[in-house]
Formats: sequence, C-alpha cells, structure tokens
Amino acid sequence: MTNDDDLFTITMRKRPWWFWFLAGVWLQLEVVLVQTALASVRESEYRAATISWIAAAVLAAAGVFGWLRRGQSRRLGESNEQP
Amino acid sequence: MEELRKPIGRRSLLKAGGFVAASGALGAVWALVTGTGGGASTSGSVRRRARWIKTVVRPTLGETNADYKRFSGKDIFAIYMQLKTQRDGAGSFEAEQASKAKRLVEWINERKPGFSLPDQQLSEGAWTVMRSARPGTGLLSWTRSSARTPTELSAPRYAASPEEMASTVKAAARLYGARLVGIAPMNESYVNLQVPPEDEKEKDKDIVIEDVDVPAVTDTKFVIPRKMKWVVAIAIPMDLDLLSRSPTALGDAASALGYSHSAFVVSSLAVFIRGLGYEAIPCVNDTAQSIPFALDAGIGELSRLNKLVTPEFGPAVRLCKVFTDLPMAYDKPVDFGLVKFCKTCKKCAEACPSRALSFDDEPSFKTKGPWNNPGHKAWFEDSYKCFQYWQKSGSACGVCLASCPYTKGDQAWIHEAVKATASIAPAADGVFRIMDNAFGYGKQHDPEQWWTKDQPSGRRG
Repeated sequence: MTNDDDLFTITMRKRPWWFWFLAGVWLQLEVVLVQTALASVRESEYRAATISWIAAAVLAAAGVFGWLRRGQSRRLGESNEQP
Repeated sequence: MEELRKPIGRRSLLKAGGFVAASGALGAVWALVTGTGGGASTSGSVRRRARWIKTVVRPTLGETNADYKRFSGKDIFAIYMQLKTQRDGAGSFEAEQASKAKRLVEWINERKPGFSLPDQQLSEGAWTVMRSARPGTGLLSWTRSSARTPTELSAPRYAASPEEMASTVKAAARLYGARLVGIAPMNESYVNLQVPPEDEKEKDKDIVIEDVDVPAVTDTKFVIPRKMKWVVAIAIPMDLDLLSRSPTALGDAASALGYSHSAFVVSSLAVFIRGLGYEAIPCVNDTAQSIPFALDAGIGELSRLNKLVTPEFGPAVRLCKVFTDLPMAYDKPVDFGLVKFCKTCKKCAEACPSRALSFDDEPSFKTKGPWNNPGHKAWFEDSYKCFQYWQKSGSACGVCLASCPYTKGDQAWIHEAVKATASIAPAADGVFRIMDNAFGYGKQHDPEQWWTKDQPSGRRG
C-alpha cells in the first residue's frame, strides 16, 4: 500500500499529434529550402539562392524560437508547481 | 528520480518515433507524387517517367479539323524574306541583312557582351555538324549505311516483339544522345509537301509516299515507302547555361549545338536500324513536322509558344525524328497539366521582345500567317515579328524558351515538386507563376560570365 505522504504530482505536457506532424513538415521544408539554395548556386540562379537561404534562415529561427519558448514555459510550470 | 526517468524516456522515444513517422510519411507522399515508377508509359522502355506525367488517348492541344493538310515545308526564313519584300518593297530584305551584318561587325569591334568574336564563333563552331547535314545526303542519307547489314552478313534481320524492338531502339537513341524518345505512328498529313533546295536557283523537290521497298532520293523527288509506319520521335535538351544568355550569339550556340546533336543522333540511329535489317530515314527539322509526331509519341504537350514543352526540359529542346519500317510498340500522348498552366501563365508572351506570342486566354484555329499550318488548334505566333527581331537583335533570340517556367535545371528538387503539383492542382498555377518571377527565373544571365566559369557545366534541363 502506498502512503499518501509518498505521492506527488508531476504535470507533463503531452504535445499533441499535430505538433509532431508540423515538426516533420518543418524539417522537410528546411531540407528542401537548403537543397534549393545549394542547387540554385550550382545553376547560377543567384536570386533564387538568396531567397531560399533567407527563407531557410527565417524558418530555422522560427523553429528554434518555438522550441526555446516551449522549454522556458515548461521550466516555469515546474517551478510554479514546486512546494 | 531514477524511477521517474524511465517513463519519460519511453515517451521521448515515442515522440521521436512519431516525428520520424511524420517525416517518413511526408517523404513517402513526396516520392509518390514526384517519383518514377507509375507515370507515362514509354512502351518497352527501360526507363519510366515521373508519375505525374499521365498518358492520354489524344494530345491535350493540337486537335485538327478538315482544313489540316500537309504543310509546304518552306523554310520560315524564306517566308520571311518573301513577306519582307512584299511589305517593305524590293531590296528591303537585302538591306536589312546588310545592316545586320554591319552591326555584328561593329559589335565584334566593340567587344559587346554576347556578341564578341569568341561569342559569335562559338555559335559557328556549334553549327558544324548540322551544316553538313542536308536532307537525303551525307549524314542524313536515306539509304547509306556505314554498318554491314544482315543481308551483307548473311544473317537474318533482327526480330523481336514490338515492345522489345521499341526498348532496343530507345536504348540506342539514348546512347547516341537523345534524352526523350517516343514511338509514334506515321501520319502522312504531318509530312511536308516539299524539301526546299540547298541552292536558291534550284527548285523544291516533292516528297511523295509510295508503295516501294526502299526510300529514294532522285533529282525531282524524295520517296518515302508507305510501309514506314513507325516514327521514332526524339528530343535533345539544349544547354541552359548558353540559353540563359539569350538573346545573344551565346544563346544561338545553344540552338546550334542542339541541331548538331540532333543530326548526330538521327544519323547514328538510322545506321543502327539499317544494321538490324530495316529501312530508316533520319530527319532533323526537314521532311516532316517534328512537333505533331513528338506530341503523338508523348514527348510533351503543345504550349502557348506553339512549340512543344516537355515535362523534363520545358521547351528547351530540339526535336528530330527517324522514320522506319521496324515494327515497334507505339507510345501515347501525355498530359502533365501544361495547357491549363499556359492559360494562366503567359510569361513567355510577356517576355517576348517582339510581342510575337499570343496573349489569348484560349487556343484557337485562327492562324497568324503563312508560316502557320491551318487546321489545328493552337496559340499561333506571329513569326514575322519574331524574325524581324532576329534581324534587329543579331541573334536567333530564344528568350521565350529561356523564360518558360518549365525551363529549369535538374539540380533543385523543388522544381520537380512544383511541376508535379501543377499537374494535379491547376488552381496553384497562378501562384507558381508569381513565385517563378519572384525567384528571378528566366532573366538573362551575364554573357561575359559564361567565359569565366571555372568549368562550363553544359547544364541541360
């Protein structure tokens, strides 16, 4: 039998299924944009390469920001729940 | 804490699994849409095209009516010369040519980018093979074979199923330099009426189709045996590094090289077919209309340019063909959404410096001049304006070919995905057109830069 004094609560935020789907899409877009940028340089399509690099960088920054923001809120949540 | 880590570890594992599964699922969908394996059938071919290239019963554009007849075969340049004289008076054509020649020399002296001496001579060099290829003689001989035929070898001629024959011929054509090969049934209405003479003082020679065993070229006519019921339609990609420098002499070199490659491919293939024990007539632009045969063979679709656009290389191809009595399985026309795309896009018409291309929303039977063969539906072009610009620019232009959104290199995966999406979702065509402009595709590349490239890539389609 478990003593009630031994019990404690951990709040775990389960990311919904669509989050992982979006993460997959994000990764694929990143790969495609970087590949397009590199290929465009080889094809001497420099404007296309520049746009692709910028788009890849913006998308990467958005992804990193999303992960950091999520991590920050989790740490805050954990601290709020500490007695 | 030690105990708590275990369930969290499993969860992480599941999340990672889900992430990989999502990526994999997307990748699978991507491969399914853009990959090869189930696309347009090239009967008996060892290679298959992308899945988004669908086969259809009839070409999506180019339908004919009762007015469709065999075309004169007169060279467009000869038509222009005649019209120029009619419109601007006697001597106007000659004066224009003299002015153009003078201008080209001035540009050589000025070292004008794209028209310097090396630029102009690059094109001349690229023409070399084609210039020695005249219908019915030399490279394009209708009878000569440099290989020993089965009869000479006392061996039976090669026999196989039509599918195997098609596969064999396509493999050979690819080896010689063809990138797209299809088999179409002979259609006599696509055969020109005449072959223009090499010497202006001579008369045109008639092209006749008769019940004879072997092709013949006489002093008065070219004879195609009626038993030649198969046409090997071939597309040779043009060099995009050169084409993207249009309208300059460098752009001309892309066309010239395409023609010379065509002459090499069809002459080699004709010798190969004769070596198998069959008859073969190699043709580049001469003898018959290349585009309708290429349409029937599933090489591509008819576009706003009134030229063939292939799914793989866009309009940046040169077409040629070989007539033969070697029985092969026919290919079918293809549909990859081009006609709908052309209705929305109009980029070529806007890019054309001479405004020679149609801006009409829908194709029609209304021709623009004697250079068009009436009786088929198309977006007809004004070749007079086009040729006038050729004289003015001192080049064979080619801007329309370079500007087409389907004219892309094969390095970036995204191009394949865009073409695949356009084939199934015409609603996205307008967006793709906007994106094509935004990314700067189709603009002229610096002519001088071509010579300073570490290694000219010879980039094709």
